Amino acid sequence: MSVRRFVEDLLRGRRTRGFRPDDEEAAQMRAAIELRAGRAGSGAASEEFVADLRRRLATDLDEDDADAVVPIRSGRRRVLQFGSVAAAGLAVGAVAARAASTPADVAEGPLVPNDGTWTRVAASTDLPDGGVRGFDVDGVTGFVRRDGGQVAAVSGICTHQGCALRLDAPARELRCPCHRTSFAVNGTLVSHQLPTPPRALPTLSVREADGGIEVLAPPP
Amino acid sequence: MAHSGEQADNPPPKVRPRELRVVSDDAYADWRTVYEDNVDRIHRLMFAKVGNRADAEDLTAEVFLAALGPARLDRSIGEVRAYLLATARTVLARHWRTTMGREITTIDDDQIEAVRQDDPVSDAPQRAAAILDELPERDRRILSLRFLQAYSIKDAAVALGVTVANAKVLQHRALRRAAQLGGGRA
Repeated sequence: MSVRRFVEDLLRGRRTRGFRPDDEEAAQMRAAIELRAGRAGSGAASEEFVADLRRRLATDLDEDDADAVVPIRSGRRRVLQFGSVAAAGLAVGAVAARAASTPADVAEGPLVPNDGTWTRVAASTDLPDGGVRGFDVDGVTGFVRRDGGQVAAVSGICTHQGCALRLDAPARELRCPCHRTSFAVNGTLVSHQLPTPPRALPTLSVREADGGIEVLAPPP
Repeated sequence: MAHSGEQADNPPPKVRPRELRVVSDDAYADWRTVYEDNVDRIHRLMFAKVGNRADAEDLTAEVFLAALGPARLDRSIGEVRAYLLATARTVLARHWRTTMGREITTIDDDQIEAVRQDDPVSDAPQRAAAILDELPERDRRILSLRFLQAYSIKDAAVALGVTVANAKVLQHRALRRAAQLGGGRA
């Protein structure tokens, strides 16, 4: 029934709702998406959407402009502003809710998936001492580093609202492009502009084997 | 084209389509130019991957909110575009994992390359036609009416001379057969 609901939402142009499709259902969803995307002239961005997103970006990116009227933004406003992004999944909401009730400087602890598998993210030779390197494997995005010969890794997702962090290699910091939060490469919070400090980044289990660096990631 | 020599992995752009309003070949002037030049491209790509406007808009917004920072504008157009596309790939993957627990569609390297080089992205009509071509006439008609021609289930039922309940069953079965033909294609 869930595939039918997905298809119905698709055909009505509504936001689709999550479920847990099996292989056959996933194939039906793919067929439905391909068929719907094939409708003539349906992929273009609407002018209204383009204008609306331009306004959202302007509030976020032009805030240093002295001429612009910059509203003082409370955390609530931020939440509203990024609401549709946060609403992309229940999991994101769950993380946010947990963050609110957890002391900010306490990391979530190591991220250890049930049934984790060691997944290669870089060659050992690609990570010299002092080096930091981003990776994105099935299920986990993060950064590995080598300090004093030891390899370590942290999650690459901001603990505030789930944006992907970027490496600022010279500063040895991970910066969140959404709200200017930054973390040290070891995951501790360096700076933020949020009402409540976000948690430190979860660490990941990492090892070196067969000339490669591997993290414990969810099974593919 | 005055593309700088630093981007050996980035072939020179082909003839620019009209909607492109970029003043320089080398870099974007500001984030607005990045946005205007790429928003439709990213939206079309997302739409082809999720098949509905609401989700395509959410994901497009997420890409730009995450990727557009003031510090990135010293990069070449090719690099900025590649960064947007890499972000789009991550955003789409996370969308599917969060909502469905698995990736339903993905953005592959060929598509990234096509978008980066301004090739027409939309092979979507051809892909849809290819699916329909392989199906029996009855399946093809219901799917074409519903997916390509935006018929309501009632109107499709009238067009096919069946009851609404029958039309629903026809549509569901036809989609199952389409899925079997499509195999593991993403």
